[in-house]
Amino acid sequence: MANTWGYGAMTNHFGDVVENSKAIFMIGANSAVANPIGMKHFLQAKDRNNAKLIVIDPVYTKSAAKADHYLRIRTGTDVAFIYGLLHIIFKNGWEDEKFIESRVYGMEDIKAEAKKWTPEVTADVTGIPAEQIIQVATILAKTKPTTVVWALGITQHSTGTSNTRILPILQLVLGNMGKKGGGCNIIRGHDNVQGSTDMCCLADSLPGYYGLSDGSWKHFAQGWGVDYEWLKKRFYAKKWMNEKGFSLAKWWQGVLQEEKTYSSSPIRALWVQGTGITSMSQQVEIQKALNKLDLLVIAEPFVNEAAVLSDREDNIYILPVATQFENEGSVTATNRTSQWRTKVVDPLYESKTDHDVMFEFAKKFGFYDEFTRGMKMGIKDGEIKQVKNDFNFAEDASDEIARIVKTIGLGGWTAKRLKAHQENWHMFDPLTLKGRGAMKGEYYGLPWPSWDDKHPGSPILYDVDTPVNEGGMGFRNRFGLEHDGVSQLAEDSVTVKGSSIKGGYPEITSANIEKVLGIKLTDDEKQKIGKNWKTDYSGIIQEKCRIAGVAPYGNAKARVKVWTFPDPVPIHREPIHSPRTDLVKKHPTYGDQTNNFRVDVRFSSEQNAQDWAKDFPTMLVTMRVVNLSGAGMLERTSKYLSHITPEMFANIHPDLALNYGIRDGEDMWLHSPQGTKIKVKAHYNFSVTPDRISLPYNFAGVMQGVDLSHKYPEGTKPYATGESSNTITNYGFDIITQIPEFNAGLCRIEKA
Amino acid sequence: MSSEMSRMKFYCDDDRCIECYGCSVACSEAHELPVGISRRKVITLNDGIEGKEISTSIACMHCTDAPCEQVCPVDCFYIREDGIVLHDKEVCIGCGYCLYACPFGAPQFPRDGAFGTKGAMDKCTMCAGGPLETNSVHERELYGQNRIAEGKVPLCAAVCATNALLVGDAEEVSKVYRKRVVSRGKGA
Repeated sequence: MANTWGYGAMTNHFGDVVENSKAIFMIGANSAVANPIGMKHFLQAKDRNNAKLIVIDPVYTKSAAKADHYLRIRTGTDVAFIYGLLHIIFKNGWEDEKFIESRVYGMEDIKAEAKKWTPEVTADVTGIPAEQIIQVATILAKTKPTTVVWALGITQHSTGTSNTRILPILQLVLGNMGKKGGGCNIIRGHDNVQGSTDMCCLADSLPGYYGLSDGSWKHFAQGWGVDYEWLKKRFYAKKWMNEKGFSLAKWWQGVLQEEKTYSSSPIRALWVQGTGITSMSQQVEIQKALNKLDLLVIAEPFVNEAAVLSDREDNIYILPVATQFENEGSVTATNRTSQWRTKVVDPLYESKTDHDVMFEFAKKFGFYDEFTRGMKMGIKDGEIKQVKNDFNFAEDASDEIARIVKTIGLGGWTAKRLKAHQENWHMFDPLTLKGRGAMKGEYYGLPWPSWDDKHPGSPILYDVDTPVNEGGMGFRNRFGLEHDGVSQLAEDSVTVKGSSIKGGYPEITSANIEKVLGIKLTDDEKQKIGKNWKTDYSGIIQEKCRIAGVAPYGNAKARVKVWTFPDPVPIHREPIHSPRTDLVKKHPTYGDQTNNFRVDVRFSSEQNAQDWAKDFPTMLVTMRVVNLSGAGMLERTSKYLSHITPEMFANIHPDLALNYGIRDGEDMWLHSPQGTKIKVKAHYNFSVTPDRISLPYNFAGVMQGVDLSHKYPEGTKPYATGESSNTITNYGFDIITQIPEFNAGLCRIEKA
Repeated sequence: MSSEMSRMKFYCDDDRCIECYGCSVACSEAHELPVGISRRKVITLNDGIEGKEISTSIACMHCTDAPCEQVCPVDCFYIREDGIVLHDKEVCIGCGYCLYACPFGAPQFPRDGAFGTKGAMDKCTMCAGGPLETNSVHERELYGQNRIAEGKVPLCAAVCATNALLVGDAEEVSKVYRKRVVSRGKGA
């Protein structure tokens, strides 16, 4: 997404779908289970606009049960399927030529690839009948606007990056971007996932997607009021400042070092705060790594089952952290809006809030002052400096974010404005998000980019028919001014409404601002202005852009070709463990990868190690159940939620189960290519075909048939425990993001 | 607003129900029910069968001519003016006749004890408590919350993620549903 048009986030919003979408194309998402509130909006769109709901999923999900068209896809063939649709669209001239010519770069290469994917070829690879592919392509071409909806079923693959690129490409071809009722609506499944993504709780970037370049570190050093040299000294060597760290997906190799790692030291201590690492793949490896660490600290409101998974008896600490009800601050919703949340009660017992735990940590390590100084900073006379000696946590932290994070336009997200929105909920329209009365002119939650404290927020990204100061913009100029001699800026015909510049323009820097905006800076402004719009603390660039009705990040073309990626245009690659050995030769995975997130990753060597489909003939699909989320530890402490799914199970078609003599409700072993196994109940179900089984990923507490009940600290065992599906999810990681392959794997069934 | 006397009804729009169990869990949690007592159940028919799967949420339907009331040998049922069907647990003898009479399986009985001995019947009160003093501790213990007395919507419908479960004056519920059917152009 970000590599296509600038930002990797939901482009429109749920209310917009209800009001304007005529068709909803849901692929790799099961909102009825993972986001019921989101599902309400899709059902409302069906009720109110007669919108057609098209669901593409390997399993007949609860969302599929509400669909007008359901397409059963083979896991890991999303790219092939979309090319199948594009083939028909291009063949019939159904693409939005004007949109593509004026706002998209590189489409010829997509057309060339799509040529190969006739309905018959696509049907063979994806398992979707050719007639259905033609039918859906026709609906997409004739029904405007269509919104595309996806979630983890698209991202969690060894080809996740290609998947998340091909869907935006589909929307660009159809001209559904920057339009009401169109867009790419990627649905977040948990509270504040968008917020933690925006804050880049990741191994490869500073907050706000700034990356790890020296320029970014210097920007943050300035914003935090600390010396860049001091920051540098915190690292073992300067080079590690700019290197990605270990990822959540493969951190355990940093401990075990079975595959080659690239780090100054093995990982010796692990601090887990607010993430269920038992919902990650390769549980046996994780268990081994947890045992080998020198120190394990778990800071959570509930006992994280990582503690139970580990066999260690010493140097393991569980810190009680407060819940959101005992804390205050802003959270970011799936549609880039921020909401202020008020504390209900003070932290109970000896628990502390997340930030207090971090503050205590910083005090012990002697950098508390530096750690908190950013909250005492402010802009005075166009310069950033310390403006007070004290701070008030939630408010000043929010203001610090607003001050520093310019990349995604959080300038408008001051605590004061967010609180005003919270206090005036009743003044906003739930569908358009538009404010009324005192809130007139603002959108609820100030969807980012909200460039500065006067900006109303941008409910629909890349909408050139709306002035920038009212939430409009073109695509972001993020990939240079030209490639292969072709300008990357939008054509002259694409003028953002109300803009003083006709057609495309580059991102604004101190070097080009006078020329691009046709203005003259005063000497004082020249002295204070930052290098570019992303680092300009003075606010001068933003102020001049506001006057000109210009988005500081430019008005460029989206690109469908990412020349720095292994696949410049997405191509279909078979899952690493593919059930179609015959297709592996034709559509092989990538070559093995050296040093991504400090560790090597096997691709082709794993894919070709043996004829996997022969020994592991059944496809393995993981899924969520509605009553449990993530690793499920929180929900399994509720007796009522546990009562719905008291035991771990796998959905299996009776025809498949009976091949192995397994009756409904009997136990079965599931074996993985990695040599791991789990014992689960067979649940006869017709949502799966006999070539695949589906199982929830929300259980833990049993490991390869061994009950770990005795390892829970007294009184903390949840009502329901069970095998984790991630003990047998297959080896495999995305080539760019390293997200694990949760969704396209193989297994072997055995009667228990 | 209706000019008639209101008559309270539930209706579950099965084009909207996604089997999320929100209603059922919220009900159990709010009234602190023992596990296994389901005042409100979520039912799915033809689970996983393409084009045939359908889900709905069922509890006491607060019938106009409630069969439970008619068969009760000790006459523990009473129907409020607004149509909500309630019963007096201190009169109920746990005989189970009402369960046989009810077409919806609404009456629930405690399941503990060696042979699943029956105690007083429990069922959905539409969050309207029982015959005891409104919002008293005693009422809460026997019947759960009395949200109706506080002017609040029954919890199941209040938490319904997709607005499938509707509750209120029968005419109002019917209006909401009719509007959906008309704009859908199909159904009912």
